[in-house]
Amino acid sequence: MSAIIPGVLLALAAVVLVLHPVVTGREASMEWDEEELTEAQHRRNIALLALRDVEYDFHAGKLNEADYRAMKQEISTEALDAIDDDEAEWNARQARGDSAESLGLPQDLEAEIAALRASIREGIVCPQCGHPNPRGCRFCGDCGSALPERKGAAEHVAGGS
Amino acid sequence: MIPALGEVALWIALPISIWGCALAFLGGRWSRGDLVLSAERSTYAVTALLAIAGVGIVAAFLGDQFQYWYVYNYSSINLHPFFKFSGLWAGQRGSLLFWGINLALFSSLAVWMNRSKNRDLMPYANGVLLAFLAFFISISLFVTPPFEQLGFTPTDGRGLNPQLQNYWMTIHPPTMYLGFTSFNVPFAFAMSALIVGRLDTRWIQATRKWILTSWFFLTLAVIFGMRWAYEELGWGGYWFWDPVENASLLPWLVATAFLHSVMIQESRGMLKVWNMGLVVLTFLMTIFATFLTRSGLIESVHSFAQNLTIAWIFLGCMAVTGGVASVLIIWRLPLLSSERQFESMLSRESAFLLNNLMLLGVAFAVTWGTMFPLLTEGLTGSKVAVGPPFFNQVNIPIGLLLLALMGIGPVIAWRQASPRNLMRNFLLPGAVLLGSLILLFSAGVRHVYALLTFSLGAFVLTIIVIEFWKGTRARARIEEENPFTAFVHLIRRNRRRWGGYIVHVGIVIMFMGFAGAAYDREVRQSMIPGETISIESPFGHEYSLTYQGLSTTLVPSMRQVIALFTVEKDGVDIGSITTQRQLVLAVNPPQPISEVGIRSTFVEDLYVILATVDDAVLLGSNEPQFQRATFQVLVNPLVPWIWYGGLIVALGALIGLWPGAGVPTRSRQAGSTARAARGGGLAGVGMDSEAYTSDSSTSAPATVG
Repeated sequence: MSAIIPGVLLALAAVVLVLHPVVTGREASMEWDEEELTEAQHRRNIALLALRDVEYDFHAGKLNEADYRAMKQEISTEALDAIDDDEAEWNARQARGDSAESLGLPQDLEAEIAALRASIREGIVCPQCGHPNPRGCRFCGDCGSALPERKGAAEHVAGGS
Repeated sequence: MIPALGEVALWIALPISIWGCALAFLGGRWSRGDLVLSAERSTYAVTALLAIAGVGIVAAFLGDQFQYWYVYNYSSINLHPFFKFSGLWAGQRGSLLFWGINLALFSSLAVWMNRSKNRDLMPYANGVLLAFLAFFISISLFVTPPFEQLGFTPTDGRGLNPQLQNYWMTIHPPTMYLGFTSFNVPFAFAMSALIVGRLDTRWIQATRKWILTSWFFLTLAVIFGMRWAYEELGWGGYWFWDPVENASLLPWLVATAFLHSVMIQESRGMLKVWNMGLVVLTFLMTIFATFLTRSGLIESVHSFAQNLTIAWIFLGCMAVTGGVASVLIIWRLPLLSSERQFESMLSRESAFLLNNLMLLGVAFAVTWGTMFPLLTEGLTGSKVAVGPPFFNQVNIPIGLLLLALMGIGPVIAWRQASPRNLMRNFLLPGAVLLGSLILLFSAGVRHVYALLTFSLGAFVLTIIVIEFWKGTRARARIEEENPFTAFVHLIRRNRRRWGGYIVHVGIVIMFMGFAGAAYDREVRQSMIPGETISIESPFGHEYSLTYQGLSTTLVPSMRQVIALFTVEKDGVDIGSITTQRQLVLAVNPPQPISEVGIRSTFVEDLYVILATVDDAVLLGSNEPQFQRATFQVLVNPLVPWIWYGGLIVALGALIGLWPGAGVPTRSRQAGSTARAARGGGLAGVGMDSEAYTSDSSTSAPATVG
């Protein structure tokens, strides 16, 4: 019997909590969060990681050079496709004007994409953070750690991942 | 009053969960954020209400409120408070509610963690979780009510099954439930991904951590269960292929298969239907395990429950869940097509696929052997027992193949491995394999399976050590770090891969522990004080145990008969060992149990069972003429390695799970900076990969298992 009053209070509390959004119209987000990765970005990241793994496998002696070059070529293409898709999505969003971030967009986007492609093809993927840096960089543009000082795409290593 | 409030809370939880489930699906369908928010709050509310119900039961136990049927049947006044607390999951009625509580906690955690991401998946995922919550709450209210009252208040309860009065037994069931219930979350995400049609890589990213969490708990639970059987059942072993043991193994096997094959999907875009199927199958296996344990249909050491209604309900639940999942998968088949084909039989993909087939083969054999007695009983009316010989005959060879694959997988390359590279990589491990075979054979190891297990184990360990060595060396060279720093960074950079390797080390050590059983020694003898029993260890030395006598005492709730031995190893006194037989008086009728004596060294256990004593002793007589007793003395080589291996497995899984190795999310600030810089391009790449690096290895062969 003594449980009646607390029980009623409990039921009331639960009902208020649950009905509150419906009554007041308060909403949970149904939106795609800007912070979340898009599918193209996921694919790009996976390709970049695969690239690092190929590096690792090559340096660990699991791949011979011919296989290594072939695989690297193939994965780089995947990465570039993903980057293209991401760019297309980004541009579409820009065209719709629904991003608040458009203010920060650099002028020369094309040049930057080109640089990115170059960095993936022959630049230096940072062994710390996986950020692809243009050729000739000595420090990572993203995390600031020192980059291996080697020329050519085949010779930097992703540090074991 | 608290128990009464708990019961009220359980009643309130039912309509809230049904409401939330309905609103979650409608909110998802109509894209109505208010309905979705209401549904998510329902999940939180149900969690709080179920927690209150759980507190109610614990309060009833601690307060000796025997007017409750459940407390009366599973407790007694003189039961230790620790076991009164664990009364919550000691019996069927409590444990099904406990199941619901765990599920609610995980559901709330999933909703909370995804409050600002995966929003398109969340309504349906939450809806699926709430549907299962409503299911378990309904069972607790209408089928196995934990708050049912007797109508009178007995002065004392019937007591807890003495075999459950063991610390392993207080932690084994909750761990099992944590493993089972946490798998509900990936299943819910999988269903949601199918409903929404968003079957790209993201739902896998959202759930992989959950699956690993669930796997971690399942692993621990299986090991805890083995430990309990070893210490408490007193027959000398840890695994009997008992139906309930098997039930706990099945979801583990399928989840292990998934953890491996998901890597093929991540890195190669293949096996999407297969992986979806494995998630569904693992989840069905968790329900199947509950069905086996809780229906009591099959004779088992866990025959704590016999309830046909429950059996039908769980079978129905499995049928509906499996049916709905299959329909959804078939509906979405076009979205689940493979992006690539297998290129070569000699590739890491093939090794993974073979691993999957082996694990599922074991799962199938175990299911078949477990269900066979039930099927034959249904068809012919007579029960046929399927014993350990069947399971060992089928599973040991498959286990050995898996062991070999554990070594081959990490070394073989993706896509296509070249024979020349394979040769180079397998040269040293192969030499170790051959060397150990020769060494062990010449040392007198003739048991084929044991010989293969130890040699393959050495092979796998060599490969893993080489992997660590190469990784550390490469990193140390490139980063100019000292080897130790390089080693730590190596693991931190790709926790999943290196954590997976550590899990493999643990599994190898456990396998060696299992193989030790080939050399178990046992003697059984009736003795009077002063007599000595000798047993030779397979490692060559000899134990001599001199029986000193029995003493019987009355301790609260039980009569305890203790036999004392002094132990000599090769003639050198190494101390004493006691073994007990207990007559538990706290249950009606009094029940005898044995409490074995175990003396553990690094490589073996000396295990002493007090098999029979004179009834007079159990009744309290300390007279000299009743001192004759029968003992079983066993030497179980390498059993301790099973527990060490288990610890290593847990450590490896924790490394894989450690936060930071988490589901890829971008730190808000850095993410926006990256966007501001150029909107998802150059800087974004670095940022995102950073979030990935620690965790999503695309080539790691080795997550777990």
